[in-house]
Amino acid sequence: MQTTAVNTIAPAPTPARAANPDELLDIEGLKTYFATANGLVKAVDGVSLQIRQARTLGVVGESGSGKSITALSVMRLIERPGRIVAGQVRFAGQDILKLKDDDMREIRGNQISMIFQEPMTSLNPVFTCGDQIAEAVLRHRGGSKKAAMLRAVDMLSQVGIPDPKRRAKQYPHELSGGMRQRVMIAMALSTNPELLIADEPTTALDVTIQAQILELMKALREQNRMAIMLITHDLGVVAEMSDDVTVMYAGKVVEATDALTLFDTPHNPYTKGLLASIPRLGEHRERLEVIKGVVPNPLNLPSGCLFKRRCPYAMPICDVAPPLRQIGENHVSRCWLTPDGGKPEIGEAPLKAEAEASSASLTVEAR
Amino acid sequence: MTTEGIRLGQPGISLPVGTPTGEVDEVDLVPVQTYWQLVRRRFLQNRLAVIAFVLMIVLVVASIAFPILGGNLWFTTSLTHGPTDPVSLAAPLGYDNDGINIFFRLMRGLQTSLSIGFFAVLIIAGIGTAVGSVAGYAGGRIDNLLMRLVDIVLSLPGLFLVLMFVAFLGSGSALVIIFAIGLTGWTTAARLVRAEFLRLRESDFVQAAKALGASDSRIVIRHMIPSALAPVVVASTLGIADAVVTEAALSFLGLGLLPPEASLGNMLTHAQDYFYRQPLWIYYPGIMLILVVLAASFLGDGLRDALDPRQRIEA
Amino acid sequence: MGKGTGRQLASYTIRRLIQAIPIVIGISVISFAIVYLTPGNFVDKFRTGRVSEATIQNLIHVYGLDQPLPVQFWKWFTNFWTFPVNNLAWGFSFTDGQPVRDLIFARIPATLLLMGTSLLVTIVLAIPIGIMQAVKQYSWADKIITTLETIGYAMPTFWLGLILKQLFSVQLKLFPLYGMQTLGKHGDIPDILAHLVLPVTTLAVIQVAGWSRYMRASMLEVMRQDFIRTARSKGLASSQVIRKHALRNALIPIVTLLGLTIPSLLSGAAITETVFSWPGLGYLGVTSVIERDYPVVLAVVMIGGVMVILGNLLADIAYAVVDPRIHY
Repeated sequence: MQTTAVNTIAPAPTPARAANPDELLDIEGLKTYFATANGLVKAVDGVSLQIRQARTLGVVGESGSGKSITALSVMRLIERPGRIVAGQVRFAGQDILKLKDDDMREIRGNQISMIFQEPMTSLNPVFTCGDQIAEAVLRHRGGSKKAAMLRAVDMLSQVGIPDPKRRAKQYPHELSGGMRQRVMIAMALSTNPELLIADEPTTALDVTIQAQILELMKALREQNRMAIMLITHDLGVVAEMSDDVTVMYAGKVVEATDALTLFDTPHNPYTKGLLASIPRLGEHRERLEVIKGVVPNPLNLPSGCLFKRRCPYAMPICDVAPPLRQIGENHVSRCWLTPDGGKPEIGEAPLKAEAEASSASLTVEAR
Repeated sequence: MTTEGIRLGQPGISLPVGTPTGEVDEVDLVPVQTYWQLVRRRFLQNRLAVIAFVLMIVLVVASIAFPILGGNLWFTTSLTHGPTDPVSLAAPLGYDNDGINIFFRLMRGLQTSLSIGFFAVLIIAGIGTAVGSVAGYAGGRIDNLLMRLVDIVLSLPGLFLVLMFVAFLGSGSALVIIFAIGLTGWTTAARLVRAEFLRLRESDFVQAAKALGASDSRIVIRHMIPSALAPVVVASTLGIADAVVTEAALSFLGLGLLPPEASLGNMLTHAQDYFYRQPLWIYYPGIMLILVVLAASFLGDGLRDALDPRQRIEA
Repeated sequence: MGKGTGRQLASYTIRRLIQAIPIVIGISVISFAIVYLTPGNFVDKFRTGRVSEATIQNLIHVYGLDQPLPVQFWKWFTNFWTFPVNNLAWGFSFTDGQPVRDLIFARIPATLLLMGTSLLVTIVLAIPIGIMQAVKQYSWADKIITTLETIGYAMPTFWLGLILKQLFSVQLKLFPLYGMQTLGKHGDIPDILAHLVLPVTTLAVIQVAGWSRYMRASMLEVMRQDFIRTARSKGLASSQVIRKHALRNALIPIVTLLGLTIPSLLSGAAITETVFSWPGLGYLGVTSVIERDYPVVLAVVMIGGVMVILGNLLADIAYAVVDPRIHY
């Protein structure tokens, strides 16, 4: 029995698992591909993740990992040449990928709102901030223009903008980056969404402003009881904000668990690499560790594990793509390493056929 | 038990963890492309630009080959031929009222127009590069002065300037036409070169050359002009279209080359006299003009897109 | 602080006008130089043997041609700007002896009519076409229109004019061949409109080709911006996103185009006017160059230059007014 403990892998839960009533967003097997002139880019390739009511999920990865495209897919804001080719996105129980465009627009900006990375360019330069917030209110709440404008001013004060009446009449270029991101947040929250998707909300901002915006988001999260899908490349932000974490690499989920587990006992070498590259206060290191190499060219992905060329643990078995495996309670990882992080006991040069057979029986992807 | 889990490999034999394998695989062997390879690739990917390039070559070759093949045919009048002659292989477009073979005259006209366009653009590129590079490199007061000059020339109605040059310095001379177009049309090229110079002046490689003690003239001639040439090439290619049309407009206004010389412009003017009886004649030089303009514009656009390194293919 | 007040706008305008003065002097010097430095002078045409040398010398003296060039320039330049009160400010035409100012003022209504109409037609057609193309990018309609625009843009004006004349006047006899009015039908509006059709079409075809391409590019550029995604993320319908968020931004550069086109309202389209013998300023300019009527040429070139400068100024001011990001 001891060998089995090491060598066996618990099977993934069946995909048809009963929907958790607590679950607000349930993405399953999402594939979003881009048909570029140079070939098909599988920007999001079979991503599954869940967000519970009023909880915050951090989605982490380097640029190009597909995390933003996942978010845009949820909003159904993917534009040519991109297309959602497979998967389900269940929001409050219904698959919003199946909704008609008109019905989706009722959800977009209303039940699901989004804020973007670049506060400098995400606001329309020719309309005042107040106008742009009021527009969202008018769209989903109706009422008079004046009422919408009052709501806008109210939102501006809620996001901590001093003198909101005056600010509402200003154009975006008259505000600082941090202020503009506050306006974006005010706009997104003006309709009381159940889910806020924040795509790198603090990346473009100064460090001190970053902290302020995160504090603001935390406060508003408590106040509105909303769930957040927080997309970031910054594990520090994740530690600050998230209940759960999903790590993405090259369009796939490579590790998912709750935040504590992830920081305490990361399993995937990629996650470990990300964690090792965070500088810690009071710690003296000769040099910061970085993950060597770059994200593979999405037009020319390596065979097998997509991370193998950058991975310090790379083994022959890695020529076979590892499935997402359950390695602990509520903890999955896409790596051949054993759940406790040891080397799997495999042959010196595993017969390719044998390894492929192993992975074939593991096609069921775990959450 | 096997339904619960999967056995991997043979138990007992294991690899030391921490040996990266497959560090070099086929993915890394994508060759690094030089700037010019990228330019060529980008250009060849642009279907319109390639078509324009081929069209331009066809036009140039035809304008050289047919006048040689035809010898004197382009101005040889004949009493035995006329507009009523059926078209034949020897005269695909028939004969005009003086019995001149229209096709060969058209090819000769194309040659004249292309040559005028080419030499005018040469002057434009020369003056534009000189003014632009001096302004961009010197900066300060000289730059200011030269750019005001550019503003002044740009403010003057261009066609009237050319008209005045030609009318007052002698109409009917190809040389005067070339200089008139060249002397009035250099402003855009100058602005482009200046902008490129301003960018290059701050660039690392020029700073490095300066740090190494290279002289101003050496830096400009060896380092900056070659880099600033791309916009000049683009502007010149686009400029050919303008020059050819300006020549035609001059002819149309009676200030261009006069028969027996042939240019697309004066053939058009000539055709105008046969508006009623020979309605097709006006189309031959007109379509030639449009082909030249289209070829030059798309070639220029294609070159600009291909030469612009800021347009790296994004994955 | 916000947007500039009327006073700020006024001071900006005055500042720009002052900056334009050296340019105006520059174009004056160049135009004057081209005319006066050409070999020979206009008195030469009297040297036919029938006019005595003494008379010619007298003429040279009367016209001040024996004075140093800078003096001549100064006299001409200072006199030039008295035109609002002095009908001799621009001198006399050599060909018919009339005051140049009156000659030119008489041509302005015809040019305004032609250029204004064609500009109106251009705007009304080009902007919707460009928007439609951008919204339906890659569609067949977009491809076909783009091709037509390219050909329209590549067509030399005079050739297009000739073709239209040949097709619609000579062969179909739908519209008059040239001029603005039929003899003996002065002030007859349907007659003027009939004369207007072909020249306006000529100008409009070429301008619409250019403007709609520009509008399409501007619209496509705007639709790539982040704030369009923001607008869509609010749940707005694409039609609303286009009408409100995209269009408002895409029209800003068009304002510049308008400013650059305004000068032609007065200086006219020389080629088109010549093709159709339209009695406007452009046609006057061309005929004067050919007849070497220097005072008229000088006045036309100066008007053209000053209009370009004013057009640029107008474009900048309009830009600053419509784009909240620009401070003046």
